[in-house]
Amino acid sequence: MGDIPPREGTGGAGSGAGGAPSTGEGGTVSGAGAIDQVTLGATAKEGGTRSVSYRIGGWDDHPFLGKSPPGVRSPLVALEVCDDPRTWPPVVTREVGDLAGDPAAWAREAERRFSADLVRLVLTSTRDRSFSDFPSVGRTVEAVLSATSLPLIIEGSSEPELDREVFQRCGEAGAGERLLLGTAEADRYRSVAAAALAYGHSVVAQSPIDINLAKQLNILLREIGVPHDRIVIDPYTGAIGYGFEYSYSVMERIRDAALKGDRDLAMPMISQAPDSLVVKEVREAPPEWQREIAVRWEFGFALSAVIAGADIVSVRHPETVRLLREAFRGLRPGEPPGGGAGGA
Amino acid sequence: MARVALKALEIYKMLPKKNCKECGYPTCLTFAMKLAAGKADADSCPYLDEATKQLLRGATRPPIQLVKLGVGERQVPVGDEIVLFRHEKAFYHPPGIFFSVSDLWEGERIRAVAERIMGEVFPRVGENLRWNGLAVRNESGDPAAFGRAVAAVEEVAEYPEVLVSGSPGALAAGLAQCGNYRPVIHAATPENHGEVAALAKRFGCPLVVRAGDLAGLAGLAKACTDLGAPNILLDPAPAHLGEFLARSTDIRRKALDRSDPDLGHPVYLDATAFVPEEAGIVTGILKYAGVIVTSVLSPGTARMALTLRQNIYTDPQKPIQMTPGLYRVGEPGPASPVLATVNFSLTYFTLLGYLEASRIPCHLLIVDTEGFSVLTAVAAGKLSERLIKDSLDRYQVGEQVKHRILVIPGYAAPLSGRIEETTGWKVLVGPRDAADIGEFLEREWVAKGPAAP
Repeated sequence: MGDIPPREGTGGAGSGAGGAPSTGEGGTVSGAGAIDQVTLGATAKEGGTRSVSYRIGGWDDHPFLGKSPPGVRSPLVALEVCDDPRTWPPVVTREVGDLAGDPAAWAREAERRFSADLVRLVLTSTRDRSFSDFPSVGRTVEAVLSATSLPLIIEGSSEPELDREVFQRCGEAGAGERLLLGTAEADRYRSVAAAALAYGHSVVAQSPIDINLAKQLNILLREIGVPHDRIVIDPYTGAIGYGFEYSYSVMERIRDAALKGDRDLAMPMISQAPDSLVVKEVREAPPEWQREIAVRWEFGFALSAVIAGADIVSVRHPETVRLLREAFRGLRPGEPPGGGAGGA
Repeated sequence: MARVALKALEIYKMLPKKNCKECGYPTCLTFAMKLAAGKADADSCPYLDEATKQLLRGATRPPIQLVKLGVGERQVPVGDEIVLFRHEKAFYHPPGIFFSVSDLWEGERIRAVAERIMGEVFPRVGENLRWNGLAVRNESGDPAAFGRAVAAVEEVAEYPEVLVSGSPGALAAGLAQCGNYRPVIHAATPENHGEVAALAKRFGCPLVVRAGDLAGLAGLAKACTDLGAPNILLDPAPAHLGEFLARSTDIRRKALDRSDPDLGHPVYLDATAFVPEEAGIVTGILKYAGVIVTSVLSPGTARMALTLRQNIYTDPQKPIQMTPGLYRVGEPGPASPVLATVNFSLTYFTLLGYLEASRIPCHLLIVDTEGFSVLTAVAAGKLSERLIKDSLDRYQVGEQVKHRILVIPGYAAPLSGRIEETTGWKVLVGPRDAADIGEFLEREWVAKGPAAP
């Protein structure tokens, strides 16, 4: 046989050559390490108020090969909503109309009408440098938590000066709900990690399309006490035609390294490419085609990311959620579709 | 019957070691190295016995056969891939994408699609993205109608076709119209493969074999090859998309490790069988399809599919680089801002998108960091004050503007002092995220008046 044995002790991150060992159809790679599981959301039984909680990860082969680990619901689709829509893609604000001004109502429809698995609240209001209304952060998170019963991902500020206060408020408002808090980066991860540790949440760890930087950040997080099963890797994703192929291959490499035993990369992944809805191909299209092109651009990245190894894909257009649901049914026809409303 | 790839030295031991040059290579060792690389044919050596040649052919041919679809300028080569993941080396032959028409359609409707395939081009980063051909489906069940539909395509087409029918009679009627142009024949099945392989042999056409399990596919591939139709594609007849992904992956794995050489052929996918069809197209592009048959695609799906295919079949070892230089965004004047950044194409395109959206005209100075992103270029020392100074000089930026203010990327902030000392320009540290550039320029440039900061 020409099988190349799984490489051991190479640290994974540098692995470039070597095919995956041959398996039977739908079989698994024996003896390789599995991806860690992360739990998102907490039901009443689990100390929260969500109608559902998800376990993601747990894989021992590349996506859609082999069976899902018991109890794991993946891939999941998150629909993004925000609290200040001024910078949001016009193709989305046109679609959702009045919802764009009301994150709670938007989140409610994400569950009821758009059948998302998760709501990702992006606190765009904190992206303004002059932002100082910290109490509003807690109020928004609470309002969204009462409007939807789905588990929540929260994207806080992106300014180191604001991070501490913003993440503290997010963490506190969602105490016990097992939120996924983002985003930790190599030079600003302490505030988000502190909030996650204090209130029982998990952390999105983002690095710029580089397997070694992804690994370094996971090590940094581990060193300040964030356990492996509370980290979700975000390898950063460019839109199709705008560097997507780099992100695609980094996700495949991370998954491959994890399967070959690199514990510092053995976390589930999340991917979003929000630029998909504002790429030149969309902006320059005739108005009657903009929606169709934008949704296809977002769908194409999201399905590709899932096939490369993402456990959660985060999108902004409701129609993308619908298409992804159909696609997942075709990829895993034997399994429940997942989702709050979608799975009900 | 596993056959392992042989190394050059192992092959060398089987050669006569006469260095007679009759094979066209200077020494037996050179010939052995060419054989090992799959670049020479064992038949070139007149001194090998048949058994040795047979062994060498099995062990030295490419793990996945190169199959050429059609003839002429728009011929589509597929297969001849060597890795499971593009990061291991690269994917080389992008799948041909074929729109499909039915022989139940009016001739006019068929011709309109045929013309679109002929003419539609999307230029993108130096490449012309196009469709590869047309698949004609025999949905009428009538050989004559199938022949007429193929004839309608032939009036326009100068690209490969796929003839889709289970009936040897209909296939013969189609081949009578276009057989000389090496169309792809779909499909040989356990029931019809004798007759269909004979047609493929007569016209020298690539032939798709179709079966719902890998053993069946391998058996048909071997049978048709033995019947004189050696250019084979595999249709794994998936019942759903997950099955396509699993079977196509398994075919690629077994072909690459040569555990089943009869699976060493490109894969055929009919994406129209899936909902949404885009899911089939995307999965086919990512997971090893050599031919993807689609419906007549809308503009959004069309451009997305062609762009994704271009992305995935880009050589990952080579970062796409922008040509360094001074670029104009909008209609900048002498008071417009000057922004410097790296020549990694993702950085460039992302930044350009946000700059255009901001509607603030500016000069964009792209410096040569060998395709590294800002972050890695700073870390690796590729982006330096020296490079900035040389670029400002080379592209005569000072002649384009009357101010001396340079906006640099947020991640390059550690260089700001040194850039000011070396160039004499005042440095403004921009945002780290390109998404914030519009707001940044609004605040730091427009609001403070022309060239005021």
